[in-house]
Amino acid sequence: MMLRGTLAIWLRDMLILRRSIFSELVAVVAYPLTMYLAFGIGMQSYIGLVDGNPYGLFIAPGLITMTAVNAAYNESVWSLWFHRRVQFTIESYRVTPISVSEIVIAKIFTGFTHGIIKGVAVGLVIFAITPFRFPLEHLFYYLLFLIPASAFFSCAGIISGTVMDKPETIGKVEAVLVMPLIFMSGLFFPLSSYPVDVIPWVKLLPTTALFEGARRALVAGEIQPAYLLQVVLSALITFIAAVVIFRRKMSE
Amino acid sequence: MRWPPLAVPCMESTDTMPAAAIVIRSLTKAYGGLTALDHFDLEVAQGSIFGLLGPNGAGKTTLIRILTTLMRQSSGTAAIEGLDTLRSGLEIRRLIGVVSQENSLDRYLTARENLELHARLHGLGRRLYQERIDALLELMGLSGRQNDFPDTFSGGMQRRLVIARALVHQPQVLFLDEPTTGLDPQSRRAVWEYVRSLAGSMTIFLTTHYLDEAEQLCNRIAIMDHGRLIALGSTQELKDRLSGTTVYEIEFAGNDADQYAGLLGTMSCVVEISRAERSVTVTLECWECLAEIVTALNGASIRRIALKERTLEEVFISLTGEMVRE
Repeated sequence: MMLRGTLAIWLRDMLILRRSIFSELVAVVAYPLTMYLAFGIGMQSYIGLVDGNPYGLFIAPGLITMTAVNAAYNESVWSLWFHRRVQFTIESYRVTPISVSEIVIAKIFTGFTHGIIKGVAVGLVIFAITPFRFPLEHLFYYLLFLIPASAFFSCAGIISGTVMDKPETIGKVEAVLVMPLIFMSGLFFPLSSYPVDVIPWVKLLPTTALFEGARRALVAGEIQPAYLLQVVLSALITFIAAVVIFRRKMSE
Repeated sequence: MRWPPLAVPCMESTDTMPAAAIVIRSLTKAYGGLTALDHFDLEVAQGSIFGLLGPNGAGKTTLIRILTTLMRQSSGTAAIEGLDTLRSGLEIRRLIGVVSQENSLDRYLTARENLELHARLHGLGRRLYQERIDALLELMGLSGRQNDFPDTFSGGMQRRLVIARALVHQPQVLFLDEPTTGLDPQSRRAVWEYVRSLAGSMTIFLTTHYLDEAEQLCNRIAIMDHGRLIALGSTQELKDRLSGTTVYEIEFAGNDADQYAGLLGTMSCVVEISRAERSVTVTLECWECLAEIVTALNGASIRRIALKERTLEEVFISLTGEMVRE
């Protein structure tokens, strides 16, 4: 498959991102930063150490990861919905000599790029204004998690933006599925807080593998192969699902 | 008015016709229990401007979506420049330009960037597409606004930009799906001029609700309803075939209209008669009956006898009925 169409659409999306990068980053940094200030600083003195780390240090990797995957999801879901249902640009792409797969891959890349850029931005801000520090080589291990995770959430966004025709449905899915998956996966508290019987089930969630694995990678420089495999497999499965679902929807 | 049963002459002899740009054979599309296209047959000659008319829900958009490879048919075949729509979608999309009902412009890109994106999607080289875009913006009168966003354009300018976008890669077949819907008369005429200027250089397949638009632009017109082709021909051919009757309007100078309306109404060659003030409108079985009418009117004070031209709208209504479609 030629990826000429993918490149053209991705470059279009990057042009739009470049034009609005400042407002995008301000908006995207504000939310996790507020969380960090409210929980990391406000609650730190009450909570003390978590897994041997100050609470602020415990949640910082999760906030960076959350920003990245949220950005990937939101960009994909809203962009696809908007181009499909409001602007009808997807249809204008489809009468050019590119394949449906090229369109969906472009949108996945765009979501992924948004995730990485915004995650890095939040990471830099947290790094600048907090005492959170890590060895540089840990960043490489962390990216091993963040890259497939952004792809996973971008694909999930593509699926939502493809199957949902109403914007309010997209909002509901985010509220009842995406946010709980993120918040209940050990972002703000250690998994050991769950009842013992529940922990194995929580560990099955790809988001648990992501937040737990990414935290250990960034803070301790440890790669948990099972978690990494789980995240990579989830990304792969949702990628295939996104392409198939998008193709099927377009042929309706 | 009656439309006599006729065999739709859609498969005319290829000896006298130029090669066909579009060939459709027994094309059928069903959505569950609804048949949007029902064994539809059509040929469109290369280089012609072809108009497709039909009421809402007639199947026009379904047909265009199949021809532009956006949708697959249930059965039958369709070919663009000899390429099958089911097997050669990618190749067909290299040859066609599409102006859809919706503007589908990217509001986050400037006018020029919209054209550049489509040129890249068509795989054109930068130098080539920059030249073409310059020429198209000039042709469409948008050069001065090329760096503005489409949201700041009038409806007519947006439509011209969509047409320019469909022409960037110099297509062989251009599909225009209701290209002037919602435009003011000036903008409509401007779009007509652009379409006319393309005549001969490519095949143009146009759907419209505006019958004057079809009359102004199209070499041949097809009328479809309930997924079937019900008439095909030039505007004049379609008008000529409207049940063979001829309508004359007779305007009396004095107050004789009532008296002569009664007399004409008794004549066997008069199919229908109506009266409005000093005028009487008679529908005759054939134009040869006019002599009998003139004889009957001998002695009357007549100001004018005029042949009433059939309009394409009358043909359309006679074929598709007056009932409003959902």
